[in-house]
Amino acid sequence: MQLKEIPITGIPYDQIKIEKVPATPEYCERPADLIPSTNRAVVVNPNRTCMPLGAMWAVLGIRKAVPFVQGAQGCTTYVRYTFCRIFREPATIATASFHEDAAVFGGRRNLVEGIRNLVVRYWPELIGVVTTCSSEIIGDDMVSFIKMARANLRKEIGPEKADQIPIVLVNTPSFAGSHVDGYDRASRAFVETLATAKGEPNGKVNIIPGLLYPGDIREIKHLLRHMGIEATVLFDISDTLDAPLKPPTSVPYYPPGGTTVEEIKDMANSLATFALQPHAGQAGARYLERKYGVRAVVGQPPVGVQGTDAFLKALRDITGKPVPDSLLQERGRLIDSLADTFHHTMMKKVAIMGDPDIVLGVTRFVLEMGMEPVALAGGTASKTFVHDVEAILAEAGYEGEPPLIINGGDLFEFEEYLKKQPRLDLIIGNSRAVDISRELQVPLVRVGFPIYDRFGYQKRAIVGYRGGEVLLAEIVNSILGHQYPDDRTQQL
Amino acid sequence: MKIPIDVIPERAGHLGVVEIPACDQRTLPGVVSQRACVLYGARWMLAPVRNVIHLIHGPVGCAYYSETVRKKRYRVFSTALDEKDIVFGAGQKLETAIRESLSLRPGSSAVLVYTTCAAGLIGEDVPAICKRVSAALGLPVVPVNCPGFCGVSQGDGHDAAAAALLEHFIGRGPAGPPLENSVNILGEFDVQGDLKEIEQLLQRLGLNLICAVSGRATVENMARAHRARLNIVHCGRTGRWLARKMEERFGIPWRKVSFFGLAEAAAALQAIAAFFNRPREAAWVEKEAEAARQRALPYLRRLAGRRVALFFGASRMGSMARAFGELGMEVVLCGSQFGCREDYAESRRCLGQGTLMIDDAHQRELEEFLHRYRPDLLVGGTREKFMAHKIGIPFLVFPQETSPYAGFNGFVNLAREVAALVGAPVWRLMIPANLVEPPARREGPAGGDSAAVKTVGDGKGGNEDGTNL
Ligand code: SF4
Repeated sequence: MQLKEIPITGIPYDQIKIEKVPATPEYCERPADLIPSTNRAVVVNPNRTCMPLGAMWAVLGIRKAVPFVQGAQGCTTYVRYTFCRIFREPATIATASFHEDAAVFGGRRNLVEGIRNLVVRYWPELIGVVTTCSSEIIGDDMVSFIKMARANLRKEIGPEKADQIPIVLVNTPSFAGSHVDGYDRASRAFVETLATAKGEPNGKVNIIPGLLYPGDIREIKHLLRHMGIEATVLFDISDTLDAPLKPPTSVPYYPPGGTTVEEIKDMANSLATFALQPHAGQAGARYLERKYGVRAVVGQPPVGVQGTDAFLKALRDITGKPVPDSLLQERGRLIDSLADTFHHTMMKKVAIMGDPDIVLGVTRFVLEMGMEPVALAGGTASKTFVHDVEAILAEAGYEGEPPLIINGGDLFEFEEYLKKQPRLDLIIGNSRAVDISRELQVPLVRVGFPIYDRFGYQKRAIVGYRGGEVLLAEIVNSILGHQYPDDRTQQL
Repeated sequence: MKIPIDVIPERAGHLGVVEIPACDQRTLPGVVSQRACVLYGARWMLAPVRNVIHLIHGPVGCAYYSETVRKKRYRVFSTALDEKDIVFGAGQKLETAIRESLSLRPGSSAVLVYTTCAAGLIGEDVPAICKRVSAALGLPVVPVNCPGFCGVSQGDGHDAAAAALLEHFIGRGPAGPPLENSVNILGEFDVQGDLKEIEQLLQRLGLNLICAVSGRATVENMARAHRARLNIVHCGRTGRWLARKMEERFGIPWRKVSFFGLAEAAAALQAIAAFFNRPREAAWVEKEAEAARQRALPYLRRLAGRRVALFFGASRMGSMARAFGELGMEVVLCGSQFGCREDYAESRRCLGQGTLMIDDAHQRELEEFLHRYRPDLLVGGTREKFMAHKIGIPFLVFPQETSPYAGFNGFVNLAREVAALVGAPVWRLMIPANLVEPPARREGPAGGDSAAVKTVGDGKGGNEDGTNL
């Protein structure tokens, strides 16, 4: 509705009630008992995808590594397509190409021949074998298949070359968990297969970022650089999935960067492992702690003031290095921005959806802005999510209406709940909430995985103080853009 | 003639510069295949069918991914199978899910149940369940048999989808005499308004469209499809089979045509006009084609002699090769993910000998091709796009993302957009000429095989490497 059609003067904008009509004409009331996803067998608009994607994401963060997907072509193609749309980068992922015979006799031939074909065509520095629902249901004995593949490889290209290529197996049955769990499993599989204690501490810290974008990882590295801390980032996609267009390139194409196998081996000798997204990376951190006594620091992602504070404090406590003035300056700038824009964000009703850790991090940040969460949907069912949300609300001294917390479930439930709310100002989440934001006519601020309908979100950071400023600016501007829809100049 | 790029021995037959490549075979394991699964193919075909519930019987991932078809997101329902279902079976769950979907979206006229790898492997009798529920609910509940591994590529999914449509939807309405002047289009998906362009042209011939499978397909209009006088097959792979069956069953003749490119579109319209016995009405066709050519002329000048590589899903190869020929471009590669003999034969006919054809090319082969030939443009899907860019080759996504390419106006759009892409400043700016020495040409092994590190020339798309044919 055009604002000039409302002939009221002297009334502040936020008191003008714009009547919201559902955008879809065939809108109808849904049966109430079918709204909570726990009451249904059918899933509509899931807030998560399957495990293999997370594992493939992880493998693409290793230097010159190629994921090999033990399943039919679709599982690979769909994920490549998803990565292409999100990162706008080539995604080199090999498929075992299961056909009927593999479904009947198992995928041994596919793996043994496949590994050989992959090696002679790509000469990767590492292969990450990722399983799927098919291979898990068929019951492929992957450990012995990989042994056979290695034996075959030694025959064909000689033992020296063959043994130089580590093969890491990540079991990701697609019918359990989600992409977040797939990443988590990969974090454990990689350190379990590769990390080796040298007995000498290397003075570094390990970072397992979880499903954060290249821009976020670069921001984490920036924080570490200013702290003067050396770190190994496991699954470092900051260059591999945001590579420059800078010919000449070699054949086959490999992007620059990525974590090296040597670095992963050395992770057993670090001071500590930070899992920045507990649901995606905790397993690796815990394994290193149990096996090698490398301390695991499992917290919420460094989003917002307190999130970043907690990360830096943990770094300081572990390394003994002080937080430098340069970072305190950045912090000060974020605080300044929060103060300057508080009157726009306070008391705004917000709904947040996405992967659980992103939802937790962002929730903590929006509470710092004085916003009021209405509904929080973590797509991956988690034992800790509800408790964590409650802790964050308590920490902020939040006294408003308690938000709906959806742990797992789907976005249909989220959407139907929001439709019933008297007021909603903003949705924060990924591209899968676009339809909902359109239907409800509230702006969507995009964060997290996946963002495929806008450009550049994978390149910028939302973590750290500087990332906080970016996210804050976007939130404020979305509110302004939506609530002051005419072209009258609104002085901030 | 020698095959101009390196391949592993098993793949040799799939490339050819004279013959028709071997096709319709399984993909080699371990390569970065550009093919997709059978479910993908079924969704490609069925996603636009309106007024029906699309229910994916499989793990959540299959549903999540297959929501998106040709970059558009459709709402799907799914059973999101979990461990319990895999162990104890999911028949009951499927039945409940069908009923629930219907109460969430009342007024739907049918339910399409897609099977997936997991559903196929746990061995549920999906057709029987569908039959039972269908009888109880009194509306079609249609199984689409498309577990991901049940075929060599998405092409088998197109077939499964076509079979489901034919069995349960097409011609289900009351029998009756053919509706005068009415046609169906088979294998047209209405990408960026293509269908509207085509429909306008048909309307000028005085023809009405009953349904387009599946760019404009509803349960209702498919039920009337048997009363068309003629079936127009646009995409061969998805339409031909259906056309043959409809001819057998309802006696509807069909014509395979293409609306891409001026000559093809004109020929298509004339063939259709001839079928309806009104040659005079087609007189404007020539004029219209000529007018479009005039409008495209400024772009054609910029494209003359440029080299283009085509890599499609399947059967657009031949007709698109002709369309790019009309742009004045030289087609240096014509490949597809899952073309069949008919498709390759048609392309060979219009390209002649000497043009490289690749069947089921995987990423590595395409990469090597791009380095050796350095075409001025690669045409293909999203999965090839970013690799081409990294090598410094302009790229056109097909099915297109911007405007209609079908019909006469579409050809002008195509010309304009291709000219813009090929001449984009970024390809000139790519080499920082003033900042560093021009890159030296290096030769040396990139790995254990014979591939050499290639440099990319001067960024103008020179073809020094393309001479070793
Ligand atoms: S599990 Fe099978 S049906 Fe589902 S996406 Fe993968 S290959 Fe396709």
